[in-house]
Amino acid sequence: MSAAGASLLATLAALTLVKSTPIIYAALGGVVSERSGIINIGLEGMMAGGAFTAVVFSGLTGAPVIGVLAGIAAGALLGLVLGVAATVFKVDQIVAGTGINLVALGGAAYALTLLYDQPGASPQVNALGSNYWILVAAAFACALLLHAVLYYTPWGLRVRACGENPRAVYDAGLRPLRLRLYAVILSGALAGLGGAFLSIGEVNIYSDGMTAGRGFIALAAVIFGRWTPWGATGAAIFFGFFEALQYVLQGRIAWLPSDAMQAIPYVAALVAIAGLVGKVRAPAADGIPY
Amino acid sequence: MNALRSALAGPAGAILLAFFLAACAMLLAGVSPADGFEALFIGSLGGRQQIAETLVQTTALLFPALGICLAFRAGLFNIGAEGQLLIGGLAAGAAGAHFAAATPLAAFVLLACGFVGGGFWGAIAGWLRAQFNANEVISTLMLNFVAFNVASYLVSGPLKSPAATGAETAPLPTSSWLPLLLPDTRLSIGLLIALLAAFVLRWVLSRTVFGFELRAAGDAPEAARRNGVNMPRMTLLALTLSGAIAGLGGASIVAGVLHRFNTQMSPGYGYTAIAVALVGDLNPLWICVAAFGFGILEAGGLAMQALADVPKDAIHVIEGLIILVLAARRYIATRTQAAPI
Repeated sequence: MSAAGASLLATLAALTLVKSTPIIYAALGGVVSERSGIINIGLEGMMAGGAFTAVVFSGLTGAPVIGVLAGIAAGALLGLVLGVAATVFKVDQIVAGTGINLVALGGAAYALTLLYDQPGASPQVNALGSNYWILVAAAFACALLLHAVLYYTPWGLRVRACGENPRAVYDAGLRPLRLRLYAVILSGALAGLGGAFLSIGEVNIYSDGMTAGRGFIALAAVIFGRWTPWGATGAAIFFGFFEALQYVLQGRIAWLPSDAMQAIPYVAALVAIAGLVGKVRAPAADGIPY
Repeated sequence: MNALRSALAGPAGAILLAFFLAACAMLLAGVSPADGFEALFIGSLGGRQQIAETLVQTTALLFPALGICLAFRAGLFNIGAEGQLLIGGLAAGAAGAHFAAATPLAAFVLLACGFVGGGFWGAIAGWLRAQFNANEVISTLMLNFVAFNVASYLVSGPLKSPAATGAETAPLPTSSWLPLLLPDTRLSIGLLIALLAAFVLRWVLSRTVFGFELRAAGDAPEAARRNGVNMPRMTLLALTLSGAIAGLGGASIVAGVLHRFNTQMSPGYGYTAIAVALVGDLNPLWICVAAFGFGILEAGGLAMQALADVPKDAIHVIEGLIILVLAARRYIATRTQAAPI
């Protein structure tokens, strides 16, 4: 292989890791939420909330680390809202998640205009810069940790039981709604972290629509990954690869229009969720209020 | 206490809450709510032009909301009205710009193109669900993004008007415009078609065998299946029709308001329409009322931004909160005992 080809492959591999990272975080969030029995359609909004809050706090304090923590907190807060709606009020989870997305995406756009008086994008703030790789590595650490928690701790067993048969959890003297609530808060925190990586990891601003459906792609990754942390991580890398491919191919293949390349990750997600006929089984009580 | 609870749990409570939240959004922006509401209502109901503009927004929201209503009634979460509306508008715009026919029926041919285009886009999700059991929430969402890419590619390439500077189709010949309902405004007879669609949908859902089977498929899928409803076929039909109604909306915007197609034709009507359908309680006639209410917000939101300096995105926050509160209200209204947490 030529040197140019090798360096192109190296670029593609590196970019795949970077583009996968926010999707991995959100997909892990999707896994923990759905394993507890709550479908988190609000991942997209939680990512946007995390991305925006991270920029605001990094700008206020000058410390991107504070920004990342604030992004996690913002995602967790939105997770709490979804969790309360889905447990205490037994709201349909798809409907509640759609509401969360409108509130978070609209709220970020609203606050953007209020705080910076410039619609569309925030000013530049201090970002993680070359330290962004820590969050890339941490994504894999989170996958490992979530795997360990879900399969090797009592709490993980209880959360998984909530997703299969919450009544049995209740009969065992535990509190399924509370367990679900905690799982969704954790889910939001992970999505918020993914959003923070988007805004102050990869770049140094928040711009309207920067999540670009990654939260929804993460949901596809959860299904494609069969509701397991490692599966979802693999699926997220699969989607991240196609997103990276789109950047690498841009300007190199004249006959393929850029719009077609931009559609690649979404089409890949469509094919992925359609191509698993008969092979996947969601948690039995996923999406069903208890 | 019970009377208060049921009053607050009803739509009246939701509207009050919406006003309260709007006031909070205005205070946050440093604007007195009095000025904000004045701008909101003058901008939406303050005169003939403003009322016409509110009704233009009502029409744009009503079509996709009716489509969403049909799918939700069948138990299918069609979150893809935005993409279906876009493809419907694209089909109408492409047909109008390239196969111009100087007949009085030209506008209705364009609407038919939008119906077919949106239906095709909905059918993709329907087929994926019926054939491969692919979750329609995710497929319809993904198809929104793909729809935008398809439309963007076509209007910046093959369908681009040579005369236009931006990415848009050639303008429609005047003969294929939808007739205006109010002269010298942007309000076309698209509004009447949307209202007609609402009555037809209501009739189909409540008075036909197909409507009964569709509701059965949504309310009790297992019972419907055992009683002979062909579930895959119903899934395909429901999502196709749902997309077709949204596509009809896209065509009515193209043929009635913009008179050409571009990818900025919808500021998220397909997403707002989810709120409209839910606020209208998935009942076609109440959805008409809800669409008018949201039409006021959409039309007034722009005036609020221009006159009172409240960012119009506040409207979306309010819409999202209304969804959350209304979804919770059934529970509050029917709650008899505290849930064990």
